[in-house]
Amino acid sequence: MAAPTRRTVLGLARCWRRFESPWSLGSRSLTLAAAPSNSASPWRLLGALCLQRPPLVSKQLTPMQEEMAALLQQIEIERSLYSDHELRALDEAEQLAKKKSDLYEEDDEKNILLVQDLEDMWEQKFLQFKPGARITDADVKNDRSSLHRKLDRNLILLVKEKLGDQDIWMLPQAEWQPGETLRQTAERTLATLSENNLEAKFLGNAPCGHYKFKFPQAVRAEGSLGAKIFFFKALLLTGDFSPAVEKGRHVWASKEELGDYLKPKYLAQVRRFLLDL
Amino acid sequence: MAAAALGAAWRALRPASGLLGPRPTQPRDARRRASLLSFWGFVPMRAEPLRKKKKVDPEKDQAAKERLQKRIRRLEKATQELIPVEEFITPVKFLNQARQRPPVQLPFEESERSALLLKKWSLYKQREHELERAAIASLLEAQREAVRELELTLHAEANKRDPGLFP
Repeated sequence: MAAPTRRTVLGLARCWRRFESPWSLGSRSLTLAAAPSNSASPWRLLGALCLQRPPLVSKQLTPMQEEMAALLQQIEIERSLYSDHELRALDEAEQLAKKKSDLYEEDDEKNILLVQDLEDMWEQKFLQFKPGARITDADVKNDRSSLHRKLDRNLILLVKEKLGDQDIWMLPQAEWQPGETLRQTAERTLATLSENNLEAKFLGNAPCGHYKFKFPQAVRAEGSLGAKIFFFKALLLTGDFSPAVEKGRHVWASKEELGDYLKPKYLAQVRRFLLDL
Repeated sequence: MAAAALGAAWRALRPASGLLGPRPTQPRDARRRASLLSFWGFVPMRAEPLRKKKKVDPEKDQAAKERLQKRIRRLEKATQELIPVEEFITPVKFLNQARQRPPVQLPFEESERSALLLKKWSLYKQREHELERAAIASLLEAQREAVRELELTLHAEANKRDPGLFP
């Protein structure tokens, strides 16, 4: 608990220093009156969207988990009672043995379908069943802009934006406008991204993380010292980017692949609120 | 008034002596009686005077309340008994002796292997739990910090509940 309090104290101190420095005579009443009005705040507010596609398929078991599963199955069978099916199998085995030893026909079997036949039928059906592929085409081609890849992981949307003169990969964001909540900013980002093709469920009104940075000296205009980005989590329900959108501007990345795209400090903050699965 | 009515009735009903002789004829008497009865029959002559409601009502109410209280007490005593859970009673067909499996004797290596595997598994699960806990703690911490930052810039919306998330 000491670390966060220290960080907030520092943050507070930094903020107060920001408020005080433009006014060198800095009387308390001036700063207190200036704080509520947003025009004096040097931080630009941005609402960003952490859009996740939840996994569609369960993860494959690790070797340890497979062994354990087998052991548990064995223990369960050992400690159980015979089921109806097994009792029937035992009875029929006895009857067969008797018939072989007696060598005369008793009344014809009431049940023509022996347990063995049933089990063979089931075996056949199981061999014919083909489960869906876990590794899709997009995985093989490593097409990262497709939504149909890595079916057992969470995928996050990243977009490439022009910031200053650089192209930077980041989570989609939009500038906050006065009169709306930050969550509405995030919803607006979602709408502008795909022209209302993507539908998402937002997880609450509170942001899940934030990132603040100061502009380099060249870009710093008066009154804007830096920006604060607040991330809002949303789960993708339906929809995808239409193929008409130019490739290369967006990517669906899993948590490991984020490192390929995001800057280190940004990445560190984003990683904190993403569960590893 | 009732006494006067009674007196009139008695005089009417007693056999009229002198005019008709000691034994009056049946039909006439019956007719008189019928007509008299038809008139007086409606008036309840043998009733007690009407009782006032106030005396008996509180008694009746109290008696009713006590009956209810008794019933409640009896019900409460009944609910303290444990109701048997259906799932804990083994069905009769599973008590059949023929269903018991013969006990399997595992070879020594198998039992060793399974014991080792169980120990490794417990360690693996413990590590997994620690990782999960750390992940959740970092999630919560990130959110807490974000909300604090938001409050510094004076926004009150983050603390409101989202009704869309509640079932």
